[in-house]
Amino acid sequence: MKNSEKALKKLPKKWIINLIFTVALIALVIYTLEGSTINPLRVKQIPFIIAAFFRGFADILWPALFGFDGYQFNESIIYLALQTLSIGFFGTLLGAILAIPVAFLASRNIVGKHLAKVGSVLLVIIRVFPEIILAYILVKGLGIGSITGILVIGIHSVGMLGKLFAETIDEMDRSSIEALEAVGANGLQKVRYGILPQILPLMTSITLYRLDINVRSATVLGAIGAGGLGVLLTVFSDPPAWDILATIMVAIMAMVMIVDTVSSKLREKLI
Amino acid sequence: MTMARLTLTNGKSVVKPFNRIWIVLAVVIVLGLIFGYIIKLDSEGISFKPDQLPIILKKLFSPHRGETWADYFAYIPKLQNVLIMTLEMCYGGTVIGSALAIPTALLSSRNIVKTKWIYGPARFLLNLFRTIPVTVLAVISIGLVGIAGGSTLAGTIAITLFTYGVMAKMLYELIETIDMNCYEAIESTGASHLQAIRFAVLPQIYASFAGYVIYVFEMNVRSSAILSYVGIVSIGTIMRIYEMTDYDKVGGAVILLFGVCVVIQLCSDLARRKLQ
Amino acid sequence: MIRFVDVQKTYSNGVQALKGVNLQINDGEFVAIIGLSGAGKSTLLRSINKMIPITSGQLYIDDIEISSIRGKALRYLRRSIGMIFQSFNLVKRMSVYNNVLTGRVGYHSTFPTLFGLFPREDKILALDSLDALGILDKAFTRADQLSGGQQQRVALARALTQKPKLILADEPVASLDPITTVQVMDDFARINKDFGITIVANMHHVDLALKYATRIIGIRDGIVVFDGLSSEVNEQILVEVYGRTLKHNEVLGE
Repeated sequence: MKNSEKALKKLPKKWIINLIFTVALIALVIYTLEGSTINPLRVKQIPFIIAAFFRGFADILWPALFGFDGYQFNESIIYLALQTLSIGFFGTLLGAILAIPVAFLASRNIVGKHLAKVGSVLLVIIRVFPEIILAYILVKGLGIGSITGILVIGIHSVGMLGKLFAETIDEMDRSSIEALEAVGANGLQKVRYGILPQILPLMTSITLYRLDINVRSATVLGAIGAGGLGVLLTVFSDPPAWDILATIMVAIMAMVMIVDTVSSKLREKLI
Repeated sequence: MTMARLTLTNGKSVVKPFNRIWIVLAVVIVLGLIFGYIIKLDSEGISFKPDQLPIILKKLFSPHRGETWADYFAYIPKLQNVLIMTLEMCYGGTVIGSALAIPTALLSSRNIVKTKWIYGPARFLLNLFRTIPVTVLAVISIGLVGIAGGSTLAGTIAITLFTYGVMAKMLYELIETIDMNCYEAIESTGASHLQAIRFAVLPQIYASFAGYVIYVFEMNVRSSAILSYVGIVSIGTIMRIYEMTDYDKVGGAVILLFGVCVVIQLCSDLARRKLQ
Repeated sequence: MIRFVDVQKTYSNGVQALKGVNLQINDGEFVAIIGLSGAGKSTLLRSINKMIPITSGQLYIDDIEISSIRGKALRYLRRSIGMIFQSFNLVKRMSVYNNVLTGRVGYHSTFPTLFGLFPREDKILALDSLDALGILDKAFTRADQLSGGQQQRVALARALTQKPKLILADEPVASLDPITTVQVMDDFARINKDFGITIVANMHHVDLALKYATRIIGIRDGIVVFDGLSSEVNEQILVEVYGRTLKHNEVLGE
């Protein structure tokens, strides 16, 4: 009994720290919400807004969605969704291609500790730079359209892709390269049979994962002028035209769910 | 489809299976051609003017004509109010959204809810919700509470909804990787499901969850600028107001937002290292 | 007292793990269950606290038939039975002390425990259990920083903190080295003697089972083929249980 009584006294008072931390966390949330008064008239409207949102899905504008009854296919929402998908596709491709050299620059195994530091700082800067600001600058500087969207997504993706590619390269199993050396392979042969088979499936998997993210962000970036159907989401937002927004969302939902499913199925196959 | 049949010297033969990678590659190339054609069509009537880029960069990141660099930087502190508003809604939205995500994540985890017709639909609804672009979430939030009087509530709600989707998905993927042996052990002591979750699941995800919260907060600050395109006041609003007249002010806002992102990134690196 | 009456268990994939088991285990016994892997040892053990529900027959614990109980009654049953696992099953990121305290969770309503609130008696009890196993000085270390033998002692302390009348052990020493194996088995023997707690353990190593247990139950293809004192076990009985002479790795070889 005596030992445990003594030990109980030494029990770390961690709960005090946890309590203070939790209280501070919640207090700060309340502080951010403070001052946000809601007009009581608005509160009464909330059910109607929610109903309007869902009613939009009952009033889907099929002709505009698929391009018939006076709508051309190339002005239909499906077409714009395909355009968004194309921007995500080529943006990801561009990002993956650009990421390869940067990843080698950020890989300790390849360029050594010091140079790798430079590469990884470069990658952090790209990753931290807000995609929206990049889109803003490139739209102003290059013009509105899909090409700008591809460039924005491509450049921004390098941050994450480069980091994950570099990790893949650093975690590569070197013994197989050693084995190839032992059978007398030259430099390029070592890359072809020792390095590529190891890193290519992983890099493809990472790229597919990024494709999913990029297609989602391509729908948002359209608002800034980076092409695709995103621009419609803002044009019809004030006042919200729920039927049009719902029609656009159906296209986005279908597109994103398909990309998500295909990307994750392919990734399962790869690993 | 031709299968390669190889005959060994002893007469035995083996069939080399067809590598499906070629089908995938062919599909990708066909898709690439279609997508390329779509991009080409879209780019036709649009003038691509790369010579504008240096001009815009100069306008953004140098003082307005007739002003000094001191004037240029003197503008940044004036943005403090709008910065605080942005951070407030990102913080509130991240914390509330993350908390709301926990029950959904538990409900969507295969190893916690062993019934397929519970976690299946839970996951499907979550994925459906996650397809809603953040701009639409913002439009809904504005519809719900309005933006009169410079209130940040609509922004907080929009970020809450967005965080909820992202966090619930990341969390259930995390929960599915945890060690379930201790869950079994705690159930064997007579604990209820909730108690077993509290003592076996939460301690295992706590540190990663905290890391995710910081990560999503960072992401929210970075993408908060887009909310200004549907009417929510954030740093992005400065970029919108002055985009035709005072690019130097826009430049100041850009520098501020990037600076804040760098600071958050440095802090989150530090915090995550401590949490490990 | 545990009583099996014609207990059968068939899994959903059709595997028949228990084919009519009849057994009685009295209070205070130290029982070792031996048999090949896949013979049904684990199923037998886990059916006692209903971690695996049986398909037919009756299973009585202190004359309460347990195959029909669920919910609160089931949790009350489980909290009176300690369980030890091959891989210790501790929450690795939690301190030893908190791991041991989880043994009390079943005694309280959900709400206070969700905030990690336990009465003082429970805290003392948890520390007493650690002291009884000689690892009180490790109380505030994280569980994953301990050696395998120490982790299994933490698991034993967790079980003791439940104030159980019975401890079930599923291959408790299978992931330990020979020296710590002996130490942990000594702990089991001491708990059995000092606290009078019944112990039912699945054992991979026959010689250990014979050394520590007072009674041996041999199981083969879901049927009890031997049930008797450990002193009665001979080579012929082992052949009957295992279907062959023992392999080298099935005895610890002391």
